[in-house]
Amino acid sequence: MKPQTPSFDLARALGDRRLVICLGPGGVGKTTLSAAIAIGDALGGRAVDVMTVDPAPRLLDALALDASDAEPQAVALDGLGARRGARLRALKLDPKATFDRLIERHAPSPAARDAILADRIYRNLSNAMAGVADYMAMERLLELTRDATTGLIVLDTPPAREALDFLDAPRRMLELLDSRAVALLGVRHGAMRGPLAMLDLAARAVLSAFDRLTGLHLLGDVQSFVRNFGGMYAGFAARAAEAQALIRDPRSFIVLVTTAEAERVEQAREFAAALGALGLAVGAIAINRLMPALPAPAALLSAAITPALKRKLARNLEDYAALRAREAGAIAALRAVMPAGVPLIAAPDLGHEPRTLADLAAIARSLHAVE
Amino acid sequence: MALPRLIFVTGKGGTGKSTVAAALACAMARRRPTTLADLDGRQSAARILGHQAGAAPDARVAPDVRVGTNYPGSATTILDGALELATLTPRAELEAFIQRIVPLRAISRRMLKSRTFGYVTAALPGLEAFLMIDRLRLIAGRAALEDRFAVIDAPATGHALELLGVARTIESLAPIGTLNRLARAVEEFLADRNRFGVVLTVLPEELALREAIAAAGTLHDRLGIESISAILNGVAPALFTSAEIDRMAALGGHRALAQRRRAAAEFAVHARRELKRAGLEVVELPMQYAAQIGARELAAMSAALAAGLLEGAAPPAR
Repeated sequence: MKPQTPSFDLARALGDRRLVICLGPGGVGKTTLSAAIAIGDALGGRAVDVMTVDPAPRLLDALALDASDAEPQAVALDGLGARRGARLRALKLDPKATFDRLIERHAPSPAARDAILADRIYRNLSNAMAGVADYMAMERLLELTRDATTGLIVLDTPPAREALDFLDAPRRMLELLDSRAVALLGVRHGAMRGPLAMLDLAARAVLSAFDRLTGLHLLGDVQSFVRNFGGMYAGFAARAAEAQALIRDPRSFIVLVTTAEAERVEQAREFAAALGALGLAVGAIAINRLMPALPAPAALLSAAITPALKRKLARNLEDYAALRAREAGAIAALRAVMPAGVPLIAAPDLGHEPRTLADLAAIARSLHAVE
Repeated sequence: MALPRLIFVTGKGGTGKSTVAAALACAMARRRPTTLADLDGRQSAARILGHQAGAAPDARVAPDVRVGTNYPGSATTILDGALELATLTPRAELEAFIQRIVPLRAISRRMLKSRTFGYVTAALPGLEAFLMIDRLRLIAGRAALEDRFAVIDAPATGHALELLGVARTIESLAPIGTLNRLARAVEEFLADRNRFGVVLTVLPEELALREAIAAAGTLHDRLGIESISAILNGVAPALFTSAEIDRMAALGGHRALAQRRRAAAEFAVHARRELKRAGLEVVELPMQYAAQIGARELAAMSAALAAGLLEGAAPPAR
């Protein structure tokens, strides 16, 4: 394990933060790193909640988390040397249940609530529409922040199709429910004037063409959907504004998770650029699954083993040195495309999936700055 | 088994989808003109081949593979180059569709610019994805007519499954009519091993393996896809026997590295067995111990894929 370098210390950087958001492309180990960061911070003596989105079964085991339970569950930290005050809770996001709860909260009346929950378009939207999981992660996060006993929330995000899927979700949801657009489809035919009427006509033309093609009655469905949702716009707008404020709070910290692979560099750059365009800064870039340091070749010279085995060991070292060089190349490329001054931290490759809480704690302990 | 006209390459993030798609497209382009298309506009596979967006037609991406041209935005032009690079985007497919059903150009153009447009997609979630898959059906149909191949650098498994499953949703939403007929045509296409095949990239790692086996189950059992192969990527040769490792007690770091190598090799053997048990054809690609994946590494992968997937396969049905 490398010693913590004085240049960047994650524990110190997180000292007064209330929220860590782990973002990154699919397959880099966001969930594992989120859990490790949460455990590391909890062991240091804070009350931490970690929300996972799509945890692997092994990770569920490691956290002893019941995936069917949507409430935060306590994770026992016994035997890990936790400081006083340490508390860790974990929960798994259930987007559908969160969405239904949201409707129940914002619906203007029980009748409107029932109408929406039974609506065909809503049912499709809540199950299938890309971005619903993102929006619901944000919504659940806001619910979690209500608990004043929690010191830090660590948020794992759904695998992103586009860099901003998650952070942008409230805005896109609002756009969908935008009152002006609602007006466009919801008002009486012919009541609109000017260019808006043109769009209205076009929208109707497309939907009625659809209906003719498919027999779907989409025009009617969409109108009733937007009418039902229209009453909830204000509630959604307030929530979205809260979410935006939370992300921009100086006590929030964004960790961009990636791996040291050439293909990831471009994706990571896109993430950072998209965040930058929103005026958000990356707090740290976490490079997951970094190979361990290699042994010195000199140790082979004096070893009491056969020359044949020595040759194989030398070749093995050469092979891994090539992979290390590839990693180093990717890290250099990553640094070159990232805004200057963003700290790089690395988590080691255990050589296997983390199986226990102790594995996750080990990752947390060995998170170190990359020079 | 016959070679499908269109091969859809997917896998967990980080398992080498784009690299495999690129190497496979080169292997196929050596036999027949081949289209290599991505679905996210990133052109990752083309980039891996060293092809820059906007490069001149006839650029070579390998000594014997020539690129026809590069045309972002649409996949409807077919040309003479051995390897054709294309990008399909949901937006372009949706625009084409809207223009088809709203014949008045002035209105359709306005429509496409408006925010109201979002309603059409919101009203029928999955429509864009469905139009993409329908485009794949058209590409495969055309490939069969012109004796070509197509390789798709698809999204990661989760999104790919959503994409492939969307015809089912559309079919249930639209029980009659044109859309329903289209949805059924897409389902037939996916189940036709002469036209459509999935290649799943897998790394010899626990998570990737589990996800690949689960995905293969979904592809076959739920979506009725018949042609599914697994590419086990990054297979490490063992190099050391366990007896040899026992003799390295005094070697500390070197012993740990030898163990790492052996564990990786053993897991690859296990992964291969599990994939076969799941009923998948398995092609192994050796771990490339190289400081970068360059032309030489791609050529080696391409040759291994040709040997494993293409040779011995019956010529595709016309």
